[in-house]
Amino acid sequence: MGGFQIWLHRKLASATIVAAFMRSDWAWPAVESIHFIGLTLLFGTIVVWDLRLLGLLKRVSIAELHRLVPFAVLGFVINATSGSMFLMTEPNQYVYNPAFQFKLLLVAIAGVNVLVFYATVFRRLRLLAPGVEAPRSVKLFGATSLICWIGVIVCGRLITFYRPGLCRAGEPLAFLVECIPPLSSR
Amino acid sequence: MFDPFFAWLESTSFSVWMRESPSLFSFPIILAVHTIGLGLLAGINVALDLRMLGFAARVPLAEFRRLWPFLWLGLWLNVLSGLALLAAYPTKALTNPVFYIKLALIAVALLILRSVRRLWPPDETAPAILQRRSIKPLAIASLVCWAGAITAGRFLAYTYIRLMVDSRPVPRPWMP
Repeated sequence: MGGFQIWLHRKLASATIVAAFMRSDWAWPAVESIHFIGLTLLFGTIVVWDLRLLGLLKRVSIAELHRLVPFAVLGFVINATSGSMFLMTEPNQYVYNPAFQFKLLLVAIAGVNVLVFYATVFRRLRLLAPGVEAPRSVKLFGATSLICWIGVIVCGRLITFYRPGLCRAGEPLAFLVECIPPLSSR
Repeated sequence: MFDPFFAWLESTSFSVWMRESPSLFSFPIILAVHTIGLGLLAGINVALDLRMLGFAARVPLAEFRRLWPFLWLGLWLNVLSGLALLAAYPTKALTNPVFYIKLALIAVALLILRSVRRLWPPDETAPAILQRRSIKPLAIASLVCWAGAITAGRFLAYTYIRLMVDSRPVPRPWMP
Protein backbone atom coordinates (compact mmCIF):
# COMPACT_ATOMS: atom_id res chain seq x y z
CA MET A 1 0.00 0.00 0.00
CA GLY A 2 2.79 2.41 0.94
CA GLY A 3 4.62 1.67 -2.30
CA PHE A 4 1.47 2.18 -4.29
CA GLN A 5 0.82 5.52 -2.57
CA ILE A 6 4.32 6.75 -3.39
CA TRP A 7 3.94 5.64 -7.01
CA LEU A 8 0.50 7.30 -7.23
CA HIS A 9 1.76 10.48 -5.63
CA ARG A 10 4.61 10.69 -8.15
CA LYS A 11 2.33 10.03 -11.12
CA LEU A 12 -0.14 12.71 -10.01
CA ALA A 13 2.55 15.26 -9.21
CA SER A 14 3.95 14.98 -12.72
CA ALA A 15 0.87 16.71 -14.18
CA THR A 16 2.62 20.07 -14.10
CA ILE A 17 0.37 21.92 -16.58
CA VAL A 18 -2.70 21.37 -14.42
CA ALA A 19 -0.76 22.30 -11.28
CA ALA A 20 0.56 25.50 -12.87
CA PHE A 21 -2.97 26.49 -13.84
CA MET A 22 -4.39 25.63 -10.40
CA ARG A 23 -1.72 27.75 -8.70
CA SER A 24 -2.61 30.82 -10.77
CA ASP A 25 -4.68 33.58 -9.18
CA TRP A 26 -8.22 32.52 -8.21
CA ALA A 27 -8.03 29.23 -10.14
CA TRP A 28 -8.30 27.06 -7.03
CA PRO A 29 -11.41 28.80 -5.60
CA ALA A 30 -13.00 28.90 -9.07
CA VAL A 31 -12.53 25.16 -9.58
CA GLU A 32 -13.83 24.58 -6.03
CA SER A 33 -16.98 26.52 -6.93
CA ILE A 34 -17.42 24.35 -10.03
CA HIS A 35 -16.93 21.25 -7.83
CA PHE A 36 -19.76 22.44 -5.54
CA ILE A 37 -22.03 23.26 -8.51
CA GLY A 38 -21.37 19.73 -9.83
CA LEU A 39 -22.23 18.39 -6.36
CA THR A 40 -25.57 20.21 -6.48
CA LEU A 41 -26.40 18.85 -9.94
CA LEU A 42 -25.39 15.29 -9.02
CA PHE A 43 -26.90 15.16 -5.53
CA GLY A 44 -30.15 16.98 -6.42
CA THR A 45 -31.09 14.74 -9.34
CA ILE A 46 -29.93 11.58 -7.51
CA VAL A 47 -32.06 12.46 -4.45
CA VAL A 48 -35.18 12.89 -6.62
CA TRP A 49 -34.45 9.58 -8.39
CA ASP A 50 -33.72 7.67 -5.15
CA LEU A 51 -36.86 9.04 -3.50
CA ARG A 52 -38.89 7.66 -6.43
CA LEU A 53 -37.27 4.25 -5.93
CA LEU A 54 -38.09 4.50 -2.23
CA GLY A 55 -41.75 5.12 -3.06
CA LEU A 56 -42.15 8.86 -2.53
CA LEU A 57 -43.07 10.01 -6.06
CA LYS A 58 -45.09 6.91 -6.89
CA ARG A 59 -47.25 8.63 -9.50
CA VAL A 60 -44.23 9.58 -11.60
CA SER A 61 -43.31 7.16 -14.39
CA ILE A 62 -39.83 5.68 -13.86
CA ALA A 63 -39.08 5.81 -17.59
CA GLU A 64 -39.94 9.52 -17.70
CA LEU A 65 -38.05 10.47 -14.54
CA HIS A 66 -35.03 8.65 -15.94
CA ARG A 67 -34.59 11.58 -18.35
CA LEU A 68 -33.11 13.51 -15.41
CA VAL A 69 -30.38 10.90 -14.88
CA PRO A 70 -28.06 12.32 -17.61
CA PHE A 71 -27.80 15.46 -15.47
CA ALA A 72 -26.55 13.37 -12.56
CA VAL A 73 -23.96 11.87 -14.92
CA LEU A 74 -23.00 15.38 -16.03
CA GLY A 75 -22.59 16.41 -12.38
CA PHE A 76 -20.40 13.36 -11.79
CA VAL A 77 -18.20 14.11 -14.82
CA ILE A 78 -17.81 17.75 -13.70
CA ASN A 79 -16.77 16.60 -10.24
CA ALA A 80 -14.45 13.80 -11.34
CA THR A 81 -12.68 16.33 -13.58
CA SER A 82 -12.49 19.20 -11.08
CA GLY A 83 -11.61 16.75 -8.29
CA SER A 84 -8.72 15.33 -10.34
CA MET A 85 -7.40 18.86 -10.76
CA PHE A 86 -7.07 19.30 -6.97
CA LEU A 87 -5.46 15.89 -6.77
CA MET A 88 -2.89 16.64 -9.47
CA THR A 89 -1.96 19.95 -7.83
CA GLU A 90 -1.55 18.84 -4.20
CA PRO A 91 -1.38 15.00 -4.35
CA ASN A 92 0.15 14.62 -0.88
CA GLN A 93 -2.88 16.39 0.62
CA TYR A 94 -5.16 13.64 -0.67
CA VAL A 95 -3.27 10.38 -1.18
CA TYR A 96 -2.49 10.14 2.57
CA ASN A 97 -5.74 11.71 3.75
CA PRO A 98 -8.13 9.21 5.44
CA ALA A 99 -11.17 11.43 4.74
CA PHE A 100 -10.29 11.38 1.03
CA GLN A 101 -9.71 7.61 1.09
CA PHE A 102 -13.15 7.03 2.65
CA LYS A 103 -14.71 9.44 0.16
CA LEU A 104 -13.33 7.43 -2.78
CA LEU A 105 -14.44 4.17 -1.15
CA LEU A 106 -18.02 5.50 -0.87
CA VAL A 107 -17.94 6.74 -4.50
CA ALA A 108 -16.84 3.22 -5.50
CA ILE A 109 -19.66 1.58 -3.51
CA ALA A 110 -22.17 3.98 -5.10
CA GLY A 111 -20.69 3.08 -8.50
CA VAL A 112 -21.02 -0.69 -7.94
CA ASN A 113 -24.55 -0.10 -6.62
CA VAL A 114 -25.61 1.74 -9.78
CA LEU A 115 -23.96 -0.84 -12.08
CA VAL A 116 -25.72 -3.73 -10.34
CA PHE A 117 -28.96 -1.74 -10.46
CA TYR A 118 -28.76 -1.31 -14.25
CA ALA A 119 -27.59 -4.89 -14.81
CA THR A 120 -30.40 -6.47 -12.78
CA VAL A 121 -33.66 -4.62 -12.07
CA PHE A 122 -33.68 -1.54 -14.28
CA ARG A 123 -35.10 -3.11 -17.46
CA ARG A 124 -38.15 -4.49 -15.66
CA LEU A 125 -38.48 -1.35 -13.57
CA ARG A 126 -38.79 0.83 -16.69
CA LEU A 127 -42.03 -0.93 -17.54
CA LEU A 128 -43.51 -0.20 -14.12
CA ALA A 129 -46.72 1.82 -14.54
CA PRO A 130 -47.02 5.17 -12.77
CA GLY A 131 -48.65 4.73 -9.38
CA VAL A 132 -47.00 1.37 -8.69
CA GLU A 133 -44.48 1.17 -5.91
CA ALA A 134 -41.07 -0.34 -6.63
CA PRO A 135 -40.39 -3.75 -4.99
CA ARG A 136 -38.39 -3.91 -1.79
CA SER A 137 -35.20 -5.09 -3.53
CA VAL A 138 -35.26 -1.91 -5.61
CA LYS A 139 -35.68 0.24 -2.51
CA LEU A 140 -32.41 -1.19 -1.24
CA PHE A 141 -30.63 0.29 -4.29
CA GLY A 142 -32.22 3.69 -3.61
CA ALA A 143 -31.30 3.64 0.08
CA THR A 144 -27.71 2.52 -0.62
CA SER A 145 -27.24 5.30 -3.14
CA LEU A 146 -28.67 7.97 -0.83
CA ILE A 147 -26.49 6.90 2.12
CA CYS A 148 -23.35 6.68 -0.04
CA TRP A 149 -23.73 10.15 -1.56
CA ILE A 150 -24.47 11.76 1.82
CA GLY A 151 -21.32 10.02 3.10
CA VAL A 152 -19.35 11.32 0.11
CA ILE A 153 -20.36 14.90 0.98
CA VAL A 154 -19.44 14.45 4.66
CA CYS A 155 -16.04 12.88 3.86
CA GLY A 156 -15.40 15.53 1.21
CA ARG A 157 -15.89 18.30 3.75
CA LEU A 158 -13.73 16.52 6.31
CA ILE A 159 -10.74 16.43 3.92
CA THR A 160 -9.59 19.87 5.14
CA PHE A 161 -9.47 18.69 8.74
CA TYR A 162 -7.44 15.57 7.96
CA ARG A 163 -4.81 17.19 5.76
CA PRO A 164 -1.29 15.94 6.40
CA GLY A 165 1.22 18.74 6.96
CA LEU A 166 2.97 20.19 3.94
CA CYS A 167 5.90 18.05 2.96
CA ARG A 168 8.72 18.07 0.42
CA ALA A 169 7.25 15.66 -2.08
CA GLY A 170 9.90 16.32 -4.72
CA GLU A 171 12.84 14.84 -2.79
CA PRO A 172 12.71 11.06 -2.30
CA LEU A 173 14.17 10.93 1.20
CA ALA A 174 12.34 13.95 2.54
CA PHE A 175 9.21 12.53 0.96
CA LEU A 176 9.50 9.23 2.84
CA VAL A 177 10.12 10.94 6.15
CA GLU A 178 7.78 13.90 5.90
CA CYS A 179 4.84 12.88 3.73
CA ILE A 180 3.84 9.54 5.18
CA PRO A 181 1.73 10.23 8.29
CA PRO A 182 2.91 7.45 10.65
CA LEU A 183 6.51 8.60 10.21
CA SER A 184 5.98 12.34 10.10
CA SER A 185 3.36 12.95 12.78
CA ARG A 186 5.40 11.74 15.74
CA MET B 1 -18.62 50.38 14.72
CA PHE B 2 -19.77 46.82 15.24
CA ASP B 3 -16.46 45.67 16.69
CA PRO B 4 -17.69 45.47 20.32
CA PHE B 5 -20.62 43.32 19.14
CA PHE B 6 -18.34 41.03 17.10
CA ALA B 7 -15.90 40.79 19.98
CA TRP B 8 -18.71 39.89 22.39
CA LEU B 9 -20.10 37.27 19.98
CA GLU B 10 -16.67 35.75 19.45
CA SER B 11 -16.18 35.48 23.22
CA THR B 12 -19.42 33.55 23.83
CA SER B 13 -18.93 29.94 24.82
CA PHE B 14 -20.75 28.65 21.72
CA SER B 15 -18.51 30.64 19.39
CA VAL B 16 -15.39 29.45 21.20
CA TRP B 17 -16.66 25.86 21.10
CA MET B 18 -17.26 26.12 17.33
CA ARG B 19 -13.74 27.40 16.73
CA GLU B 20 -11.66 25.59 19.30
CA SER B 21 -13.36 22.35 20.29
CA PRO B 22 -11.34 19.32 19.22
CA SER B 23 -14.65 17.49 18.68
CA LEU B 24 -15.50 16.30 15.20
CA PHE B 25 -19.07 17.43 15.91
CA SER B 26 -18.31 21.11 16.26
CA PHE B 27 -17.08 22.96 13.16
CA PRO B 28 -16.35 19.97 10.83
CA ILE B 29 -19.71 18.18 11.04
CA ILE B 30 -21.71 21.42 11.09
CA LEU B 31 -19.87 22.41 7.90
CA ALA B 32 -20.76 19.01 6.40
CA VAL B 33 -24.43 19.50 7.38
CA HIS B 34 -24.34 22.90 5.64
CA THR B 35 -23.25 21.13 2.44
CA ILE B 36 -25.92 18.40 2.73
CA GLY B 37 -28.51 21.17 3.17
CA LEU B 38 -27.10 22.86 0.06
CA GLY B 39 -27.45 19.61 -1.86
CA LEU B 40 -31.08 19.19 -0.76
CA LEU B 41 -32.27 22.77 -1.23
CA ALA B 42 -30.32 23.90 -4.30
CA GLY B 43 -30.09 20.37 -5.73
CA ILE B 44 -33.81 19.58 -5.70
CA ASN B 45 -34.51 23.13 -6.88
CA VAL B 46 -32.16 22.48 -9.83
CA ALA B 47 -34.09 19.29 -10.66
CA LEU B 48 -37.30 21.36 -10.58
CA ASP B 49 -35.71 24.02 -12.82
CA LEU B 50 -34.69 21.33 -15.32
CA ARG B 51 -38.28 20.05 -15.38
CA MET B 52 -39.50 23.64 -15.94
CA LEU B 53 -37.05 23.96 -18.84
CA GLY B 54 -38.75 20.99 -20.48
CA PHE B 55 -36.59 18.02 -19.50
CA ALA B 56 -38.59 14.98 -18.33
CA ALA B 57 -41.59 16.98 -19.55
CA ARG B 58 -44.12 14.23 -18.93
CA VAL B 59 -43.40 14.14 -15.21
CA PRO B 60 -46.43 15.92 -13.72
CA LEU B 61 -45.21 19.08 -12.02
CA ALA B 62 -47.86 18.62 -9.36
CA GLU B 63 -45.87 15.60 -8.17
CA PHE B 64 -42.94 17.85 -7.30
CA ARG B 65 -45.03 19.05 -4.35
CA ARG B 66 -44.03 15.84 -2.60
CA LEU B 67 -40.43 17.06 -2.66
CA TRP B 68 -41.37 20.25 -0.84
CA PRO B 69 -40.60 18.82 2.66
CA PHE B 70 -37.08 17.95 1.50
CA LEU B 71 -36.54 21.47 0.16
CA TRP B 72 -37.71 22.83 3.52
CA LEU B 73 -35.47 20.40 5.37
CA GLY B 74 -32.51 21.62 3.30
CA LEU B 75 -33.42 25.25 3.94
CA TRP B 76 -33.72 24.82 7.72
CA LEU B 77 -30.58 22.71 7.98
CA ASN B 78 -28.75 25.54 6.28
CA VAL B 79 -30.32 28.38 8.25
CA LEU B 80 -29.32 26.66 11.49
CA SER B 81 -25.88 25.40 10.41
CA GLY B 82 -25.25 28.76 8.69
CA LEU B 83 -26.01 30.65 11.92
CA ALA B 84 -23.66 28.34 13.83
CA LEU B 85 -20.87 28.89 11.28
CA LEU B 86 -21.54 32.63 11.43
CA ALA B 87 -21.31 32.56 15.22
CA ALA B 88 -17.82 31.02 14.90
CA TYR B 89 -16.42 33.82 12.71
CA PRO B 90 -18.86 36.79 12.69
CA THR B 91 -16.22 39.42 11.87
CA LYS B 92 -14.84 37.35 9.02
CA ALA B 93 -18.25 36.99 7.30
CA LEU B 94 -20.05 40.20 8.19
CA THR B 95 -17.23 42.53 7.08
CA ASN B 96 -16.99 40.79 3.69
CA PRO B 97 -19.22 42.19 0.89
CA VAL B 98 -19.22 38.73 -0.77
CA PHE B 99 -21.25 37.42 2.20
CA TYR B 100 -24.05 39.88 1.43
CA ILE B 101 -23.93 38.97 -2.27
CA LYS B 102 -24.39 35.33 -1.24
CA LEU B 103 -27.37 36.17 0.99
CA ALA B 104 -28.97 38.35 -1.73
CA LEU B 105 -28.62 35.59 -4.34
CA ILE B 106 -30.19 33.04 -1.95
CA ALA B 107 -33.05 35.49 -1.24
CA VAL B 108 -33.75 35.95 -4.97
CA ALA B 109 -33.58 32.16 -5.57
CA LEU B 110 -36.08 31.57 -2.74
CA LEU B 111 -38.42 34.29 -4.08
CA ILE B 112 -38.33 32.61 -7.49
CA LEU B 113 -39.11 29.26 -5.83
CA ARG B 114 -42.07 30.83 -4.03
CA SER B 115 -43.47 32.46 -7.17
CA VAL B 116 -43.09 29.18 -9.11
CA ARG B 117 -44.92 27.35 -6.33
CA ARG B 118 -47.81 29.82 -6.60
CA LEU B 119 -48.18 28.89 -10.27
CA TRP B 120 -48.05 25.21 -9.33
CA PRO B 121 -51.19 23.30 -10.39
CA PRO B 122 -52.81 21.74 -7.30
CA ASP B 123 -53.26 18.45 -9.18
CA GLU B 124 -52.85 16.99 -12.62
CA THR B 125 -56.36 17.96 -13.73
CA ALA B 126 -55.73 21.67 -13.14
CA PRO B 127 -54.96 23.76 -16.23
CA ALA B 128 -51.33 23.54 -17.15
CA ILE B 129 -50.33 27.06 -16.14
CA LEU B 130 -46.75 25.96 -16.04
CA GLN B 131 -46.71 25.33 -19.77
CA ARG B 132 -46.59 29.11 -20.18
CA ARG B 133 -43.43 30.37 -21.76
CA SER B 134 -42.80 32.80 -18.87
CA ILE B 135 -41.75 29.90 -16.69
CA LYS B 136 -38.49 29.22 -18.55
CA PRO B 137 -36.77 32.55 -17.77
CA LEU B 138 -37.65 31.94 -14.10
CA ALA B 139 -35.99 28.53 -14.24
CA ILE B 140 -32.85 29.99 -15.81
CA ALA B 141 -32.77 32.84 -13.27
CA SER B 142 -33.07 30.27 -10.48
CA LEU B 143 -30.15 28.22 -11.85
CA VAL B 144 -28.00 31.35 -12.18
CA CYS B 145 -28.83 32.47 -8.62
CA TRP B 146 -27.94 29.10 -7.08
CA ALA B 147 -24.70 28.83 -9.05
CA GLY B 148 -23.86 32.39 -7.97
CA ALA B 149 -24.72 31.74 -4.31
CA ILE B 150 -22.55 28.59 -4.29
CA THR B 151 -19.63 30.46 -5.90
CA ALA B 152 -19.97 33.38 -3.48
CA GLY B 153 -20.07 30.92 -0.57
CA ARG B 154 -16.88 29.22 -1.76
CA PHE B 155 -15.11 32.57 -2.26
CA LEU B 156 -15.90 33.58 1.35
CA ALA B 157 -12.93 31.46 2.37
CA TYR B 158 -10.59 33.52 0.15
CA THR B 159 -11.92 37.08 0.13
CA TYR B 160 -12.29 37.97 3.81
CA ILE B 161 -10.84 41.28 4.88
CA ARG B 162 -10.86 41.14 8.66
CA LEU B 163 -10.35 38.41 11.16
CA MET B 164 -10.31 39.12 14.91
CA VAL B 165 -9.75 35.50 15.96
CA ASP B 166 -7.25 32.84 15.00
CA SER B 167 -8.59 30.63 12.21
CA ARG B 168 -5.76 28.13 12.00
CA PRO B 169 -7.02 24.56 12.26
CA VAL B 170 -7.27 23.32 15.83
CA PRO B 171 -5.16 20.23 16.56
CA ARG B 172 -7.67 17.46 16.90
CA PRO B 173 -6.84 14.12 18.56
CA TRP B 174 -8.26 12.20 15.59
CA MET B 175 -6.04 13.98 13.10
CA PRO B 176 -3.48 11.70 11.44
